[in-house]
Amino acid sequence: MDTLPARPASGRGPLAVVRFLGLVLLGALVGAVAALAAVAFVSAVLVLNELLLISPRSRMMFDHPGLLLAATIAVPALGGLVVGQLHRTIPERRPHAPADVIAAVQTRRGRLPARAGGISALSALISLGTGASVGQYGPLVHLGATLGSLGARLLRLGRSDDNITIACGVAAAIATAFNAPLAGIVFAHEVVLRHYALRAFAPVAAAALVGYVIATSVLERGALFHVADTAVPRPWEFVAFLAIGGLGALVAGAYMHAILGVTRLAGTLPLAPPLRPVLAGALLGITALWVPDILGMGQETLRFATIAGAFGSAELLLVLMLKIAATGLCLGMGFSGGVFSPALVIGTLFGALCGSLVGQVSGAPQETFVFYAVCGMVAVTSPVIGAPLTSLLIVFELTGSYALTTAALASVTLASPIAAQLFGRSLFDIQLERRGLDLSAGRGRAVLRTTPVTEYLTDDCVTLHPRTPVAEAVTALCRARHGEGYLVDGRGRYLGCVGLADLEAAREAVTGPARVGEVATLARPVLQPDTSLWDAMAELQDVTGEALPVVDPAADDAFQGVVFESSIARAYLAHSDELRREEHGTG
Amino acid sequence: MARDKRSRWLASAPKLTLLGLALFAAVPGQADDDTLTVLSWGGAYERAQQAALFSPYTAATGTRIEVGQYDGGLEGLRRAMAEGEVPWDLIDMTRSEAMAACAEGMLEPLSPALLAPAPDGTPPEEDFLPDSFGRCAITHSIFATVVAYRPDAFPGKRPDSIADLFDQQRFPGPRALQRTPAVNLEWALLSYRVPHEELYGLLSTRRGLDLALARLDELEEIRWWEAGDAPPRLLAEGEVVMASGYNGRFFDAMVNRGAPIEILWDGQVQEHETWAIPRGAPHPEAARDFLRFATTTERLADLARHIPYGPARRSAAVLVTTHPDSGVDMRLHIPTHPLNAERALAKDEAWYARTLGRIHDYFRTWLARREAE
Repeated sequence: MDTLPARPASGRGPLAVVRFLGLVLLGALVGAVAALAAVAFVSAVLVLNELLLISPRSRMMFDHPGLLLAATIAVPALGGLVVGQLHRTIPERRPHAPADVIAAVQTRRGRLPARAGGISALSALISLGTGASVGQYGPLVHLGATLGSLGARLLRLGRSDDNITIACGVAAAIATAFNAPLAGIVFAHEVVLRHYALRAFAPVAAAALVGYVIATSVLERGALFHVADTAVPRPWEFVAFLAIGGLGALVAGAYMHAILGVTRLAGTLPLAPPLRPVLAGALLGITALWVPDILGMGQETLRFATIAGAFGSAELLLVLMLKIAATGLCLGMGFSGGVFSPALVIGTLFGALCGSLVGQVSGAPQETFVFYAVCGMVAVTSPVIGAPLTSLLIVFELTGSYALTTAALASVTLASPIAAQLFGRSLFDIQLERRGLDLSAGRGRAVLRTTPVTEYLTDDCVTLHPRTPVAEAVTALCRARHGEGYLVDGRGRYLGCVGLADLEAAREAVTGPARVGEVATLARPVLQPDTSLWDAMAELQDVTGEALPVVDPAADDAFQGVVFESSIARAYLAHSDELRREEHGTG
Repeated sequence: MARDKRSRWLASAPKLTLLGLALFAAVPGQADDDTLTVLSWGGAYERAQQAALFSPYTAATGTRIEVGQYDGGLEGLRRAMAEGEVPWDLIDMTRSEAMAACAEGMLEPLSPALLAPAPDGTPPEEDFLPDSFGRCAITHSIFATVVAYRPDAFPGKRPDSIADLFDQQRFPGPRALQRTPAVNLEWALLSYRVPHEELYGLLSTRRGLDLALARLDELEEIRWWEAGDAPPRLLAEGEVVMASGYNGRFFDAMVNRGAPIEILWDGQVQEHETWAIPRGAPHPEAARDFLRFATTTERLADLARHIPYGPARRSAAVLVTTHPDSGVDMRLHIPTHPLNAERALAKDEAWYARTLGRIHDYFRTWLARREAE
């Protein structure tokens, strides 16, 4: 099958085993570093929240109502100021996030920039520490991925290995943050790698395991939710869980579009981008004076939402709407942070709302209330991050409850496909698509779409001035053993392509044209410097010929060279082959 | 045991100083280097200390120990500081008061380096329970507020979770609770099965406080107690079927007076008893020497044989044996025993130090409303 020049076989033999074990070891190492970074990050956020009067405990312990009021507004606003200044030092002028990780892996570019990654982590730390309504898991994932990529670069590993170490960092971050190693492994595959290969599995699993061990020995935290052991939902309730899934997809859509919409609107504001988070922080603080539940990650709100009777139905709806608005505001206006933690809160509030409505209608006692809360939670989170399996595993690993996981499964069954049909695979995919990277047709296309055709540009071609005599042109082409020549005028502009057959015919004809410029040109599509391999491949469908010319319209149609059709086909096969090796190879 | 007297004495701080000064005057060998003056809580607690700590120390070193009566509060210490005459070498304080005294600069800083390692060589930093070392105080024992119940009130079942305190369907009957927000709020919120580490964060919100009081409101009959001897008595007399109280008091009622009660250890709220050396103590070096002696594994284990307080050292907890008089296995009665401590709650003393006034107001308002209805 392999039509390419054989590369050194790397699949079998003792050396390959040693190399593979080395990669697993590297995965564990990346996992340890990423997990420690995650632990430090989480602890630093907690400390900042205590010091800056964001956490309810510190707000309760601070006995100066006037100052507390001022701090509630000033802290997020000043946090926004710092975050805005930090983002000015990143080339893209925005924080890097899990979407950048996905883009790097899906296009096999790898090589996440360490500096931008570090600044993004710092700005996320400040955003979370000063109470912005953003998540912590996104920054943790990006930080882990950046550390993994850095490891691969320090060891001068190839792109494939770079992608694997990125996935290791991601898995370790999730395993540490949620205390859930399986969820970490599945998240790295489901969201970042998007394929399953044994070669990647082992290092990723090692990283997740190390992260989990570090988390259990360092971080002490309660499970996200608790279930009474005796409660088992009645059969009809599964219908309600399915319905929560369907409706949850719409809530997830509203949440994602709130973020995207504010991002778009923020661009039209007459306010310099570094100052936008200041405005968002101040608005958030003012709203929090009435509804403090929207400040920060919302750990307490999440907990109360799983307790029947902690909120009234109207209150649930109010906090739900405000949390969506607050998160949209913070992320859209330029705070740095994740989308998962707010989605957890929003989803759980939504589930709690459904649970209390069902309770009111059916009059049943609310011992299964937590099932509704958890169903709402997975129904909203899994479409947002595009990871139904990860959401389920988080529920399973955190509760150890099969009944709860089954209920969550019912909910996710509808939520994920409905949201994917209506909005997209995940918020990350939508964001990337808006930046011009379409991942909807998978990695193969994404890789070809991000490879510029100029990588295969050559000047091994015959250029002809339009005034060149036909006979001279025929000789030049024959000498160079080419069947096509490219008309380029004195100012370097591309004018067209002429075939040897046409030139021969013109030379034979008695009354035919004497100059090349008078010969009929061939219909030949033109490539531009930024044309991707994918688009070049599409152009080739209607062409039979030797090569496609590359012309730069930005430089007055300057002729830059040609790309041979055979090199396009060869590149296409080479890329497909690399993906195949990565996805199906064992070592 | 020590705790209940404290409230009575809190208001009489001036008397304390006089007492301290009286001690100062009454101890003829005060200037001698072979007498240490220790403030402790009196009663059964002091008897236990006498047997396990003071007498063995005198026997080992020849240094005599004079014990003064202490009932909590910092007023006496403040006065002594102001007058520049501190008559005590050591004070047995609760950790929350030691933290406050330390913040006011009234205590000598203490380093864990001063402590002896465990018999197997484990350094004190690993041997002592978490948070045992304050800047100026070292925890030696841990006592607990627990729920006790009458097993004969619930034939065929027994409460095994703190949520059962609020389960009137399975465990009907009146309850006796302390007339304070502390501990009651914690237990009420724990009954919603929230994790321990989030408890004080949740209690810091209006929503959390409302949930906790709603749970307390569900109880049909609450007998509020203030003095620590009340809950064992109410239980023994059958006035209530469940009561909160101090574990030492319940132990005394069960073992020494044969009351038909049992302790529910789930959700026990632990507090620390510490040793502290006041600034300006007459014999700070000798006090440190005593502190080292009194916190050795052996002495702590012996103390816990006399009174059911948990030794602050893990190595001591496993050496605890039987009560010298009754022969009761003390391990089952100390709050820090692994079987008892599995779901213990550490009281957030810093939180209470800053919020007590507001929490009390909130609790009193609720109580007034409940009693009006």
